[in-house]
Amino acid sequence: MSDTTTRAAPAKPNRGYGRWTPAWFLAPAVLTLLLIGIYPTLFALVTSFRRYNITRPRDGFPFIGFENYVNVLTDSTFWSSLLLTAKFYVTVLPIQVVLGLVVALLLHKPGMGMLKSLARVTLVVPLATTYAVVGLIGRLIFNRDFGVANQFLGFVGFGPIDWLSTPNGAFAAIVIMDVWQWTPFCALIFLAGLSMVPGEIEEAARLETSSKLALLRHVQLPYLLPGLTAVMILRSADVLKLFDMVFVMTRGGPGSATDLISIYIQRVGFRIFDLGTASAQAILLLILTIIISRLYIRLLYREVH
Amino acid sequence: MKRALRICASVVALAAATAAMPVAAMADWLEEAAKPLKGTEVNGIFLDRPGYRAIIKLLPEFEKKTGIKVNYEIVPYENAREKEVLNFTSRGDLTMALVDLVWIGEFAENGWLVPVEDLAKDKAITDPNLKLDGFFPLLLEAFGSWGGTVYGLPFDNYSGLLFYNSCKLKEAGFDKPPATWAEFKDVYGPKLTDASKNQYAYALQSRRGETQSADSFMRFLWPFGGSLLNKDFKSNLNSKESQAGLTFRQDLLKYMPPGVVSFDHAEAVNALAQGQVAMITEWSAFYSTLADPATSKLGDCLAVAPEPAGPAGRLPALGGFSLAVASQASPEQQKATWLFIQWATSEEIAKAYVDAGGVSGRMSVYNDPEVKAKYKFVEPMVASWQAGVPEYRPRFPAWPAISEIVAEWGSKIELGEVSVEAGAKEIGTRMEEILGKEGYYDGKKKLLQ
Repeated sequence: MSDTTTRAAPAKPNRGYGRWTPAWFLAPAVLTLLLIGIYPTLFALVTSFRRYNITRPRDGFPFIGFENYVNVLTDSTFWSSLLLTAKFYVTVLPIQVVLGLVVALLLHKPGMGMLKSLARVTLVVPLATTYAVVGLIGRLIFNRDFGVANQFLGFVGFGPIDWLSTPNGAFAAIVIMDVWQWTPFCALIFLAGLSMVPGEIEEAARLETSSKLALLRHVQLPYLLPGLTAVMILRSADVLKLFDMVFVMTRGGPGSATDLISIYIQRVGFRIFDLGTASAQAILLLILTIIISRLYIRLLYREVH
Repeated sequence: MKRALRICASVVALAAATAAMPVAAMADWLEEAAKPLKGTEVNGIFLDRPGYRAIIKLLPEFEKKTGIKVNYEIVPYENAREKEVLNFTSRGDLTMALVDLVWIGEFAENGWLVPVEDLAKDKAITDPNLKLDGFFPLLLEAFGSWGGTVYGLPFDNYSGLLFYNSCKLKEAGFDKPPATWAEFKDVYGPKLTDASKNQYAYALQSRRGETQSADSFMRFLWPFGGSLLNKDFKSNLNSKESQAGLTFRQDLLKYMPPGVVSFDHAEAVNALAQGQVAMITEWSAFYSTLADPATSKLGDCLAVAPEPAGPAGRLPALGGFSLAVASQASPEQQKATWLFIQWATSEEIAKAYVDAGGVSGRMSVYNDPEVKAKYKFVEPMVASWQAGVPEYRPRFPAWPAISEIVAEWGSKIELGEVSVEAGAKEIGTRMEEILGKEGYYDGKKKLLQ
């Protein structure tokens, strides 16, 4: 047997592949990120230190130090909107997590493959729906006279509710629409977590106990925690910037019943055009999101070994 | 008064200048004027409302005559100012400004509009029959003028009107609509309301936003002798008259459908069109929606009257848009845009514009017996435009910020979350804070509204 048949041929130098090749491949993504992510953030940061109202160009855009931040932190409307947003978050998240988990567990059960595939596809529909369209659907569903919500209540013997014209009704309506849109997201994330549980461990556990709750708590939950952390981080960022759906449904009203922080910032930024203050508000929210995310990761995230 | 005199002087000067032109020049002036501008593009923003759909219908005629291309983007009202402000501050492509009456102060003070006087100096591009005095003076002053200078020509013109279902009124024993707000509440309200049958006398569009501040809150100030500001630009909302108006609005709620606080224009119009309410006070522009059998069940029952009078007289809601030339446009585009604006607001096409669903600001078209007979809204609207308050909503640059405050606290008052007095006080405090920052209290800014 000749030597050539036993030894691998020396690799030919790959022409065109050099030290900078990976950089060229990465460059478009990095540049895009710089352009659409980093630059606007830096611009907002700089703007937050200036008096920057574009409808008053004659006043100029001078640097004013931390004045905008002081104004924001002493603005009672900012704090009440932030509190309302927190209330919205702690209302929707548990519902979405519980419902999402129930749906995921149902889809994780063996059998009915075709139906489950169909259900998984339909879960994507609310997620793929534009926020503004969700708002429009919400306006129709919760219309007092011809909305589906009141029709349904009528069937079960309850009188019509003024969903969008009472503070509690309007808040409940935006909660329901958000739950409708984002429960499938939680379900899909949890389903992915459940599919990570090794089959043999799950089977062994089923032999050990007939309690589904024990199975969930001791076997499946550890695999769900990374997903839960991701859900909480993404949802807190998302709730802080939730705008379109609420604006279309209620415009923050009636009164200030649904005046979430993003609605308020949009108003300051694009109705009053006080971009300095709006940027300071946005930067504070960014800091808040980062703090919340770090907390979630520290308190909840566990690697599964 | 001084401002009105200055506007009158501009109007007279322009009228004299155009009258001096030879009659021969009047014929086909537009085609002649447009010859050097063939191929120029006019860019503007339109709304999805009858007045804009009407001019879009007529556009081919203008484009054919002039060779000027008119590009428009249709945007919701809520986004129109944002789009225009961003475009003007970034020196974008808009050559024509659509100016709501409450934006005129902001647009004019920032130098985003070219004064009509400057444009009309160029006789080659000015309609010999421009006749600024042919517009309703109230509209020209309110929609197109700021600080005594005319910037825009009234294009999409509204007056608040009382639209009512005459059949329902007849059934209840009324052969005419209420003449005063007091009569409206005390006589018509109880007779036309039967909550058990989901029937109500009135619907007042009150959704948070400009609908709450302009259509709902302000509507009950002026007729009752109240106003937002006094002559020193301090809040006048806690005056006896303003309080009376706002309390009256609360008292009317029992004759309105539940949930009226979330009603926008569409819901109020629909409530009348579908027979849930007997009366609404809405902009004249909604006549075509209410008269159209595809969108309304009213048929011959549709009737129109001026808004009822209050103790201070008949001071109905006033709203509308003018078209103005944007100063950021190139000289060629400015000329082309000026030609388009003159044509779109001219007496010459006024009848065609009204027939296509628009509401012209020209007086002459409403003298036409055919127009009077065909459109029920004409007489009450013309009557409403004889007298009115140009500053029905203040037109200064601070209005958008104040409007937000009025919208929030106006809704809270209506919902009963705060009392009329406390809500008015809160609006007043916040409003004065804004006006102070704007420089109205230290003499930096003239008290123009």
